[in-house]
Amino acid sequence: MPRKIWIIALIAVLCLSLIITGCSNDNKKEVEQPKEPEKKEKVLVFARGGDSVSLDPSNATDGESFYVARNVLDTLVDYEDDNTNVIPGLAKSWEPKDKEGLTWVFHLREGVKFHDGTPLNAEAVKFNFDRWMYEDNPYRYEGEAFEYWGYMFGGYPGVVKEVRAVDELTVEIELTQPFAPFINNLAMPCFAISSPEAIKKYGKDYFKNPVGTGPFKFVEWVKDDKIVLEKNPDYWGEGPKLDKLIFRVIPDNSARLMELQAGTIDIMTGLNPEDTKIVKEDPNLQLLLRPSMNVGYLALHNEKKPFDNVLVRRAINHAINKQALIDAFYAGFAKPAKNPLPPSLWGYNDNIEDYEYDPEKAKALLAEAGYPNGFKTELWAMPVARPYMPQPKEIATAIQQQLADVGIQAEIVTMDWGTYLEKGEFGEHTMYLIGWNGDNGDPDNFLYVLLDKDNAKVGSAGNFAFYKNDRVHDLLIAAQKETDQAKRAKLYEEAQVIIHEDAPWVPLVHSTPPIAAKKSVKNFIPHPTGGESTFWKVDIVE
Amino acid sequence: MKTTKSVNINPQPVLNNTQEKVGGLWQDVIKRLKKNKIAMFGAFIIGILLFTAVFAPFLSPHDPENGILTDRQQPPSSKYLLGTDSQGRDVLSRIIHGAGISVQIGVISVGIALIVGSLMGVLAGYYGKWMDVLIMRLVDIMLAFPTILLALAIVTILGPSLKNAMIAVGIVNIPRFARIVRSSVLSVKETEYIEASKAIGCTDIQIILRHVLPNCLAPIIVQTTLTIGTAILEAAGLSFLGLGAQPPMPEWGAMLADSRGYLRQAPWSVMFPGLAIMLTVLGFNLLGDGLRDALDPRLKE
Repeated sequence: MPRKIWIIALIAVLCLSLIITGCSNDNKKEVEQPKEPEKKEKVLVFARGGDSVSLDPSNATDGESFYVARNVLDTLVDYEDDNTNVIPGLAKSWEPKDKEGLTWVFHLREGVKFHDGTPLNAEAVKFNFDRWMYEDNPYRYEGEAFEYWGYMFGGYPGVVKEVRAVDELTVEIELTQPFAPFINNLAMPCFAISSPEAIKKYGKDYFKNPVGTGPFKFVEWVKDDKIVLEKNPDYWGEGPKLDKLIFRVIPDNSARLMELQAGTIDIMTGLNPEDTKIVKEDPNLQLLLRPSMNVGYLALHNEKKPFDNVLVRRAINHAINKQALIDAFYAGFAKPAKNPLPPSLWGYNDNIEDYEYDPEKAKALLAEAGYPNGFKTELWAMPVARPYMPQPKEIATAIQQQLADVGIQAEIVTMDWGTYLEKGEFGEHTMYLIGWNGDNGDPDNFLYVLLDKDNAKVGSAGNFAFYKNDRVHDLLIAAQKETDQAKRAKLYEEAQVIIHEDAPWVPLVHSTPPIAAKKSVKNFIPHPTGGESTFWKVDIVE
Repeated sequence: MKTTKSVNINPQPVLNNTQEKVGGLWQDVIKRLKKNKIAMFGAFIIGILLFTAVFAPFLSPHDPENGILTDRQQPPSSKYLLGTDSQGRDVLSRIIHGAGISVQIGVISVGIALIVGSLMGVLAGYYGKWMDVLIMRLVDIMLAFPTILLALAIVTILGPSLKNAMIAVGIVNIPRFARIVRSSVLSVKETEYIEASKAIGCTDIQIILRHVLPNCLAPIIVQTTLTIGTAILEAAGLSFLGLGAQPPMPEWGAMLADSRGYLRQAPWSVMFPGLAIMLTVLGFNLLGDGLRDALDPRLKE
């Protein structure tokens, strides 16, 4: 008898659990149902591969963080819709106070309010700058380092001497030296203005509660799932057309495309180049292209044997067939690279003639360098898809084969993304696949960051080739101090000639990352910096 | 000393007799195996596998490692019978060359497991007592880990390469052999002929090699056949995770891993290596099952 009771009890429990799961399903449906009327409310769901790290952009370094934050917060100056020409942002105008460009005056817009109702004024701007500039600022909370300020302005406080609030709507910024990329840098999303009251209120949790002046207000962040923004009706510019903007995380490229086809999302980034065909053939979808401002390259460790020999580096440049890689792995959405700079930037030296694909020449150069039978080495490949290299492992395999044709036996090495970058910064690699997406449309942002000896420090290298050329360094520093763009362009062109001769990299491609969206999405304008601050223009028209 | 030697000669005829009996047993086994159609199908698959492994360079129509990028992801056609993968390599040629690698994996990793496992099993079963406790508790500890997890841990320590994957798969399979050999040894140990050998003064090594092991052979053979199948599967799993064969080696698991992202564009580049793994493992399992039935004295008619 007791046994029977147990069995009955068990059955009862099972039934109960079934009922409960049934209920929870019903609940979910009920939650999802109100989505229909919300659709009429104009909700745009944007899907991407990774989540934001922080919603306080001044304290982030990754593109995904900037992507969301630039809709909530505004910068003093902004970029045009599809290029990096600077246009007014929170500052309606600005001018240098002196001839050398040492002090800049910014005139702020009137009547702009943060989402928490506090006014945007000169004091608020100064508060933000002081927080980024000074390492002893009381509003720097635990774990906040403001890395990008250091990268762009050369340390803390770096080239900025002082920020002054002259009156309610006038800000003066004094520099220690003329600094040509200054205005362009200020348009970067990492230098967006937050509400000082919100920073004081949330303290070290501010990164989860951003308060800015942007077209959208922050609502909710479910980590690794979604970030919800809603319309800011008091936006100082033209009001956003969408009522809600949701950023969802879907890690797998193919799964994301399937959701787009099913209609649960409206726009997706990180489309596999192969899948562009599927998007083109789908009558409900449109294919958008992000203007190219990036470079994917193979860095050769210039201080390690045998890559310390310029002949070997040139031989490798001759051994790699860039066009074949593009045809196979970019579905044509890329151009072969001959310079570290993308051709869309001013200062690009188009007179440089690329090392042509010629395995015989590569073999001859290797023989001349003392490696007639080639050598063994390692080829490091990124584990994740990047906009400039959507399929790094495939590209590594193809390069491995092309190198084998000239006698170089390369073993492919790969590890997780964080470790990969860290080991690269420490220079543990020999051949290293990597790339760069421009932040601000200034050649300095490519050449100084990626190829100057200042950035070849073991442990924090951005110069993964560990290329150290004093002549290049002098040219790049001179270009930073020069304010005449034509003269700067000349300096950069000269630097590219030397870099071409020294061949510290194999520049591979400048890609045009494809984006897929529903046809009903209007006015979505992909920006070359890899993120859009023009979501207020986006509309859904069924 | 002399006396023991002269005594040693005596069991020789006895041994010969048993060997003849064993021979009879094997003939019987083969006869019964031949009647088992399913087992013969397994043997047929393994035969094809071995044939392709040996004659791979003559059979494969294209270069397995160097593809033509412009011919990437071609569907099966008369030029590429099973299509090409994302690097423009012929899938058929890669599968043919992968057969050799799979045979190698099966033989070497199971070899490791067989030798070490049998040794442990014999020692534990024959000597018993503390030796048994020590070895079998070690085996229990190894069995407490899910096999693939243990293999992953071993490869992580040794570093990812095909050689290390084979070692890892070998180590992971040791406990099965140890257990099976021990249990057989325990039953054989109690038989009268062992007692007789002991009585006439045979050394332990002689008894183990001449009497104990030959009588444990049946379960070991069955286990070996079955384990080759799982070993190939486990090694393919490790390669799939990037811890076994390194590119551009045409290992089946690595082929799956390389192509799985293209399931929508080029299903053939995923399907055929998967089928190859499935058929091979099926072949070994069918043959193993057939052998077990054939060797089981209870099923004797």
